[in-house]
Amino acid sequence: MQEWANQLCENRQFGSKMTDSKYFTTTKKGEIFELKAELNSDKKEKKKEAVKKVIASMTVGKDVSALFPDVVNCMQTDNLELKKLVYLYLMNYAKSQPDMAIMAVNTFVKDCEDPNPLIRALAVRTMGCIRVDKITEYLCEPLRKCLKDEDPYVRKTAAVCVAKLHDINAQLVEDQGFLDTLKDLISDSNPMVVANAVAALSEIAESHPNSNLLDLNPQTINKLLTALNECTEWGQIFILDCLANYTPRDDRESQSICERVTPRLSHANSAVVLSAVKVLMKFMEMLPKDLDYYGTLLKKLAPPLVTLLSAEPELQYVALRNINLIVQRRPEILKHEMKVFFVKYNDPIYVKLEKLDIMIRLASQANIAQVLAELKEYATEVDVDFVRKAVRAIGRCAIKVEQSAERCVSTLLDLIQTKVNYVVQEAIVVIKDIFRKYPNKYESVIATLCENLDSLDEPEARAAMIWIVGEYAERIDNADELLESFLEGFHDESTQVQLQLLTAIVKLFLKKPTETQELVQQVLSLATQDSDNPDLRDRGYIYWRLLSTDPVAAKEVVLAEKPLISEETDLIEPTLLEELICHIGTLASVYHKPPSAFVEGSRGVQHKRLPGSAGSGESVESPDTGSAAGVSDAPPAVIPSQGDLLGDLLNLDLAPPATTTGPPPPTSSGMQMGAMDLLGGGLDSLMGDESEPLGGDLGGSPAMGAGFGAPPAGMPASFNAPVSGGLDDLFDLGGGVGMPSGAYSPPKSIWLPAMKAKGLEISGTFARRAGVVQMEMTLTNKAMSVMTDFAIQFNRNSFGLAPAGPLQVLTPVSPNQSIEVALPLNTVGPVMKMEPLNNLQVAVKNNIDVFYFSCQYPISMLFVEDGKMERQVFLATWKDIPNDNESQFQIKDCHLSSDAASSKLQGSNIFTIAKRTVDGQDMLYQSTKLTNGIWVLAELRVQAGNPNYTVSLKCRAPEVAQCVFQSYEAVLKN
Amino acid sequence: MISQVFILSSKGDHLIYKDFRGESGSDAVGVFYEKVTALTGDQPPVVMSHKDLHFVHVRQGGLYWVATTTADSSPFTIIEFLNRLAALVKDYCGSLSEKSVQMNFALIYELLDEVVDYGYIQTTSSDVLKNFIQTEAVSSRPFSLFDLSNVGLVQKQLSRRLGFFSFQGGKSEIFVDVIERMSVVIGSNGMLMKADVEGEIRVKCYLPNCSEMRIGLNEEFSIGKSQLRGYGAAVRVDEVSFHQMVRLDEFDSHRILRLCPSQGEQTVMQYQLSDDLPSAPPFRLFPTIERDSGGRLLMYLKLRCDLPPKRFSTFHNLSSPDQSAELKPQSRAVVWKIPRFTGGTQLSALFKLEVPGLSSASLLEVGPVGLSFELPKLTATGVQIRFLRLSPVQPGPSQRWVRYVTHSDSYTIRI
Repeated sequence: MQEWANQLCENRQFGSKMTDSKYFTTTKKGEIFELKAELNSDKKEKKKEAVKKVIASMTVGKDVSALFPDVVNCMQTDNLELKKLVYLYLMNYAKSQPDMAIMAVNTFVKDCEDPNPLIRALAVRTMGCIRVDKITEYLCEPLRKCLKDEDPYVRKTAAVCVAKLHDINAQLVEDQGFLDTLKDLISDSNPMVVANAVAALSEIAESHPNSNLLDLNPQTINKLLTALNECTEWGQIFILDCLANYTPRDDRESQSICERVTPRLSHANSAVVLSAVKVLMKFMEMLPKDLDYYGTLLKKLAPPLVTLLSAEPELQYVALRNINLIVQRRPEILKHEMKVFFVKYNDPIYVKLEKLDIMIRLASQANIAQVLAELKEYATEVDVDFVRKAVRAIGRCAIKVEQSAERCVSTLLDLIQTKVNYVVQEAIVVIKDIFRKYPNKYESVIATLCENLDSLDEPEARAAMIWIVGEYAERIDNADELLESFLEGFHDESTQVQLQLLTAIVKLFLKKPTETQELVQQVLSLATQDSDNPDLRDRGYIYWRLLSTDPVAAKEVVLAEKPLISEETDLIEPTLLEELICHIGTLASVYHKPPSAFVEGSRGVQHKRLPGSAGSGESVESPDTGSAAGVSDAPPAVIPSQGDLLGDLLNLDLAPPATTTGPPPPTSSGMQMGAMDLLGGGLDSLMGDESEPLGGDLGGSPAMGAGFGAPPAGMPASFNAPVSGGLDDLFDLGGGVGMPSGAYSPPKSIWLPAMKAKGLEISGTFARRAGVVQMEMTLTNKAMSVMTDFAIQFNRNSFGLAPAGPLQVLTPVSPNQSIEVALPLNTVGPVMKMEPLNNLQVAVKNNIDVFYFSCQYPISMLFVEDGKMERQVFLATWKDIPNDNESQFQIKDCHLSSDAASSKLQGSNIFTIAKRTVDGQDMLYQSTKLTNGIWVLAELRVQAGNPNYTVSLKCRAPEVAQCVFQSYEAVLKN
Repeated sequence: MISQVFILSSKGDHLIYKDFRGESGSDAVGVFYEKVTALTGDQPPVVMSHKDLHFVHVRQGGLYWVATTTADSSPFTIIEFLNRLAALVKDYCGSLSEKSVQMNFALIYELLDEVVDYGYIQTTSSDVLKNFIQTEAVSSRPFSLFDLSNVGLVQKQLSRRLGFFSFQGGKSEIFVDVIERMSVVIGSNGMLMKADVEGEIRVKCYLPNCSEMRIGLNEEFSIGKSQLRGYGAAVRVDEVSFHQMVRLDEFDSHRILRLCPSQGEQTVMQYQLSDDLPSAPPFRLFPTIERDSGGRLLMYLKLRCDLPPKRFSTFHNLSSPDQSAELKPQSRAVVWKIPRFTGGTQLSALFKLEVPGLSSASLLEVGPVGLSFELPKLTATGVQIRFLRLSPVQPGPSQRWVRYVTHSDSYTIRI
């Protein structure tokens, strides 16, 4: 024995030296020959040794297929050890020698009848592993017998064999009725057989997503739960994973399953624990939160999760990735366990970083002091990556827990005092975020920051510092000097820094116009003329144009109030999170990607969803009941604070590739001349001088106007509200090309942000054009792959809006491309009252998934053209409608005359029937009619010189009054 | 579902390769080795992927134990499985090394065939497996009690069971080890900020015919805060989990674990305790750090061992008879080795370090002190084994060993 082992060692060494060479096989031909002789020896021992040698060669990758007939000849033996060795060989080479593999069939069939159950099981197991089509037909009969064998060891092996056979020839398995036999095995008396049957069925069911193979009903669930207590730990995992796919009928069933699964949480095998956690996390969704049991369950989940952290680092890492998901979904489970996530000094870095992330997620007012003390310690450690992340974490704490912001800032200042280069840089980056979250609160620290200006060498830190200087230019005496110092090496800076520098200097100029004129001209010419970077150049042109045309508007745009940054950053988006919760403990939970992203083929394409909460008996699949699937009421205005966080207006992607017609490069001399002039004018008006702005003689101006005319497609929602006024001004430059004439239509807003829809971004608006209501959308593909097969569907809504035809997206949308679609609508769809009344829930499908969003349409688009009432009818109706139905609204800050207002309203089908003037107050009587025949009567009072209008609305359906008023306001103000 | 399992030597040689599902070729082995050797220290090594194939591996006995999968399998399951597989191989072959795996490849293939079928894990219990396994193990070296390569308190005893399965009829022995790992953080003000203990009771059974075994724990052993009885120094832990084979019918009343130990090694109970240690932490450090007139960093460390005087702790380096200290420039750390530290005593050391560009701010940068140690015959929680009863009564000489040891998992003292 020693001998062949030594020989194996030699062979291996030899093999590793000359792995891939024909030379090797030819010189060693003698060896094959020798083996052949030994295999045909009469002595059993010698045969066995020979087969072992063959397998040893096979393992190290040598081709010993030439020995196939000789090895197969050894198969007929009653020596189990030898038989196993031969089978091992067969499994490896049968595929390459299908014809010869048939030679073995007889022995297999005979072995399946052997009195020894070990041999029966061995035969059926091996046969299933020989992936040769011809063999499968011989396999059926023995398999059928083995599935009903008296010995559970044989039955459990046969159950797996069905899955093997299904993989080779699915049709055959179905025809032979093996699936039914397999289903019967779920009720087997032996738990091991049950577990294997469940595993096999689960796998087969995955390749037939619609079949009802694993018919999970309360009876089978009960059987599974019984088997759960008895089978091996690995079997428990199969059963728990299978349970996780079941959707209980009601909260009571859900609770009873949870009760029977919870004992698994104290299992020593962490895989069992995680599978149990998965089942519980999923079924908990069904439990009402006020149930006592819900609280009990929450408490029970914490200790096993904590226990997972005592495993070796590899398992810890996997556990932490899962806990990260669980904490995002249900932070209450671990809210008291903050301490276990404190890092140990000997944790590997990947464990440390994961822990840090979870610490931030768990940070709250209650534990923030403790967390901060820890983070401060971490910031003095040796590992640079970890230190950086720790400093960043302090900033995230400040943003998350408002009460702690002050303490965080002072901690950061302490860290800056250490003067450790990367700590200082990281601290400055996060302080910038804190400034954005709490403006005008901690500016006293700016002086300290400025002291460290010279030590900043990383682009992100430089950009952050420049942003701070620009933002608070009025409080920093030498802001111009500071910025000028950066300007010297402008072309060596990274784009990020260049863009910031440009913006900061423009801000500075707008705040201190007198001293900084030269500086701003310098930076504008650097950005527009000497740079190859289109982003930088375009931003430079926009500023230039803005400053030269209307400095007041420029001020409004550039110095506009910025939206606050959101508290939680890098959260996983909710639908993905729900899906990942369904995959707790699997690879998906480690990668934080859905299985469809990394598992090939049909498997795993079904998207798992958490069941709806208690009481909602709706099916989650249908888009009609979209509310259960988590449609948000309004598109969220969340700006990630990471990435390009300097969220001033011009950071937005004004020119996505599809719409970039762009300003053609103007002749530089003309441009510069004109601009100089313009700047002068702009400066004057900024300083309150009366001199006329010298607009219009700019060389490239028509082209630029056209470039701006098209409304930007990819505008983030959050920018819409605060700056839309400024933007409109901007568009007016080009002669208002982007503004629709006639009926008022709001500007496009983002309905579905890309991060919620796997890269599909939808922005849109509604318009009434020539009597037809249209939904006008811009579909932008921000994903990496092409999108096709678009379709759209509406939920029932208050006015029966429905698509009048299919969504016309004829060409696939390639990555980064945007397309405009106009979808004509009719109002003959099913009606259901929505809250608010003008809410519309939409489902959009593409080749990737179905996405849900909701949006609100201006009710004015439902005002029909024939909404002008006869005077007499108006009077009669006005009297007829009870006074209770009258509602009054104020429209503030409207500077139109009554006639202008009247004609503007007429454009949106609000018709003035009569006008009276009493005591200098104009009273307009107006009527309008909705698509569903509801009449709305209005009295609009306009007092000359008073910008506040009063509208009184009377309608038989008073619910619509609020919406109609909103339309009044929108129409009059735009 | 596991697609392939393979074992590689640290140099990347194929020792064992088994394909369960025929989904991917054997070139996966090479791909894995390339990937694993290209990993940098800060990348999580747990799951690696190449095209549609995902690798999960652990390292044991200097070998790579790798499983691949193409589906969305559970890495937990696979890691647990690989660890069990390594333990099984160790139990069967006596030790884990390149050589023992190589010599026993036929046995390991046979094991793999029984343990996994078509990627579904069947069983890893040595009790079940012994019914199926035919091949006998080959030991790589003659069994010797005086094997010099196994020095150390615990290891010495472990070596006796080398290749036990192939030495049936040898001396029957049973080991019950209570192993605890402490992680402690002591703040710069000397306050105990965190003290966690993770413990386990491990049974290594080499008795040919033992049908039942009863392990009695301290009677006052309590779990969670609610179970505290009376006053008294109860032995308390927060959370306990048991091996599947442990029967707990006598646990609630008498704190007795009943089990039928299978041959080989298993962890029968694991427990945790956080924050509420029954005694003071074993070590305290009193550091003084300053800058001397010559611009050097002075670190004056006073270390006190608060254990009862009769106990002593062993710091890991046993070879040097005296204390030693060393500066590790790469990790920017000073390592102070203390071979033996008697309870109730105190040691001090003064380190003078030349630090280029030392400023007063640099003093803030001096990181925490980490201690690693081993405390034999001691459990931090106070868990004790009251008795160990075997039935049927073992004929002939049998030896029972109960051992306690507390390791430092992470013992940090901040400055």
